[in-house]
Amino acid sequence: MSRKLTVVLLAMLVLVGAMGLKTVVVTHGDGSLIMANGGAPAPPTPWKNGGAPAPPTPWKNGGAPAPPTPWK
Amino acid sequence: MPGPFEYFIWLSCTLLEIAVVVCALKKGAIRKYFLLNLYMATSVIVTGARFQVLTSHGFTSPEYVYLYYYSDALLTIFLYLALSSLYAHVFSELKAERYVRFGTLVLLAGTALFSYAVVHESTTKLISRFVVELSQNLYFVGLVLTYVLWAAILKLRETRTQLIQIVLSLGVYFSLFAADYALRNLYPSISSLFISLLQVFGCFLPLAWAYTFWRIPEDARIVPSRLAVVPR
Repeated sequence: MSRKLTVVLLAMLVLVGAMGLKTVVVTHGDGSLIMANGGAPAPPTPWKNGGAPAPPTPWKNGGAPAPPTPWK
Repeated sequence: MPGPFEYFIWLSCTLLEIAVVVCALKKGAIRKYFLLNLYMATSVIVTGARFQVLTSHGFTSPEYVYLYYYSDALLTIFLYLALSSLYAHVFSELKAERYVRFGTLVLLAGTALFSYAVVHESTTKLISRFVVELSQNLYFVGLVLTYVLWAAILKLRETRTQLIQIVLSLGVYFSLFAADYALRNLYPSISSLFISLLQVFGCFLPLAWAYTFWRIPEDARIVPSRLAVVPR
């Protein structure tokens, strides 16, 4: 049982390390993806279909200037 | 739309992937490194499907986009399983195959859960986002696992040349993509150059593995260098 728990602990450590590394890389990146399989040309991501301009986010209705945050 | 250079690299990469399976088959290593060869064979099949869809629907068509990213996730899972089989080889003398299998499943499930936790609040294309996120996260898990495996090879003083060559080439392969990503972000003005280099890097792994199966005999032995010990 303890051996299995050790394996789980090691797996979780690897996951934390990998996700930490990914966070560091992606935070300083341009938001593009790392595709590492084969030599096929990579297309745009599925949620960037076409060249249409992105609409404003739902919580920015109208063009009124944003007020300062309530806690300032 | 990809140009002649991209098609040439893609074709070369596919030929090298076929060469890996053929060399392994010829040298009798197909059963020993079954998951590695399964990954390469799947990559060839996926390439055929991608080419078919690309030529019939176009580069930015939803069909190609979805096929590309969904098949990429599948290939990343296969590569992850191939990497876990290398762990089983390295730890075979410790009779730890059972624990390696268990750890592989736990880590895969953990990565899938983490990926879902990251994307579950997305309102659109949830499955597509999950698939791409899982693929990205498994890439980073694979990167870390490869370096851990190399450390284990040094620590256990593994001497099988074929195995060492396969693990090292996998480490270089992952590192090339990471270095390319870093350089792309450091020098955004020439990022297109680094993006086109990605395809060339994709050929490295099949080239290295084909060379390994073809040139290095199964019973070849090598002693990895000891870690430097600085006298006090």
